Amino acid sequence: MKTLISLIALLPLGYAYYALESAIDPIKMLYTITGVGAICLLILSLIPSTCKRVCGQNFLRYRKTIGLLSFAYALLHVSVFIVLDSELDFLSIVEKSLKKPFIYVGVIAFAIVLFMALTSTKKRFARFSKYHKAVYIALILALLHSFWAQKVAGVFEYGVVAMSVILLGERIFHLKNNLLYNAP
Amino acid sequence: MHITPEVLFEARRHFLKLGAGALVSTTALSKLLASMPEEIQLSFTKDANPLKLTPNTFEQASNYVNFYEFSTDKTAPVKMAQSMKTKPWNVGFFGEIKTEQMLEVDELIAKFGLEERIYRFRCVEGWSMVVPWIGFPLYKLLDYLEPNTKAKYVKFTTRHEPAMFPDQQRGLFASIKHPYVEGLRMDEARHPLTFLAVGMYGKPLPKQNGAPMRLVVPWKYGFKSIKSIDLIECVEEEPKNTWQVMDSKEYGFYANVNPNVDHPRWSQAKERVLGKLSKQETLMFNGYEKEVGHLYVGMDLRKFF
Repeated sequence: MKTLISLIALLPLGYAYYALESAIDPIKMLYTITGVGAICLLILSLIPSTCKRVCGQNFLRYRKTIGLLSFAYALLHVSVFIVLDSELDFLSIVEKSLKKPFIYVGVIAFAIVLFMALTSTKKRFARFSKYHKAVYIALILALLHSFWAQKVAGVFEYGVVAMSVILLGERIFHLKNNLLYNAP
Repeated sequence: MHITPEVLFEARRHFLKLGAGALVSTTALSKLLASMPEEIQLSFTKDANPLKLTPNTFEQASNYVNFYEFSTDKTAPVKMAQSMKTKPWNVGFFGEIKTEQMLEVDELIAKFGLEERIYRFRCVEGWSMVVPWIGFPLYKLLDYLEPNTKAKYVKFTTRHEPAMFPDQQRGLFASIKHPYVEGLRMDEARHPLTFLAVGMYGKPLPKQNGAPMRLVVPWKYGFKSIKSIDLIECVEEEPKNTWQVMDSKEYGFYANVNPNVDHPRWSQAKERVLGKLSKQETLMFNGYEKEVGHLYVGMDLRKFF
């Protein structure tokens, strides 16, 4: 099942490889496919725990796979930035990352998912799982980054924001209820 | 000897084909009608291409457009724009000129003739291309309109026709403020490089590229090159162009291509040439510094971006 999820999730990359040669703006296309992939999978990775609370279905065993797939897309996205867009000019990469909010917001989001990927082994997860709540920050930053990536936001940007509001809203609602319930 | 101009020759061939098509079926007829604008070849003076620029392919230039009247997507307008009715198309000339008037695009072509201009085109988003435009320089039109001494700027407006442009129907939810407005200082407008295009690659403008007539200002970011022009006015005050109104911190009135002045969100030092995986350096005034640099002497280009 996990293999199947991975295969389906990686399909767009196969398409990107196939379409690259005839792409009109190839760098932009790679940015879009890897960026959209990373955000969609990041949102999907939040669904199992919502599902467990709301409809009693337990898909938590797939959460790690989806999260790692999102990281894989984010890693490719960053590679496009470093290799193709900046052409390994590290001075300009550092300069852009420090000076442009659009870039550093993306860099911080990537650092968070990188940290989560590195601490996703069983042993490390036991120690670091409490810090994995930072995924919410990563998601919010990634959404901001996608809004800033174009002159004006379109259907995709508003769509993923709507999804995120629902998923994060449910968590806040749940947290509030828990606090009330556990109050002395 | 009488030589039939190429455009008329082509039109006649079409007419004959249409007649033959009518005999066969009405669907064949409508198909021929639909394909008509693409097939007409314009007659024009060719550009000697002194800069030795290599044009992008027609497919690239006509399938990657910003046309927010249809969609913020780059490819969606290609299909959506085909419903545009661009003939006849009257353009209004108003403001500080000798005689206010309306003229059909074909009348303008007849008056000013057609020539080819192979220009670099640089979008503020960081991509670029080289396009062989067909049209006439704006100064020819201005000479004809005779602006008076109060005319300090030229203001351009895209047609406002919600039935034709779906984004104009969306009111508060529109992607930008409609109708789209652009402007040039009079000396910029009169510069020999400033061009009104009615075609590209030898053919009339594809609808998604701003048919039937658009502005092309090669040393400025692409958003200055307003599409589907409805009004040209000579005015006294600097017009507020649409992107400046949208966000004045990010887009200014001048919008000259400048690798040394970044967009607040991204660098403008390099550009992605359409169809290429590698990038190239962006040139000052998009490579037209020698021709237009003098227009901006003494101006702080960081302030007037």
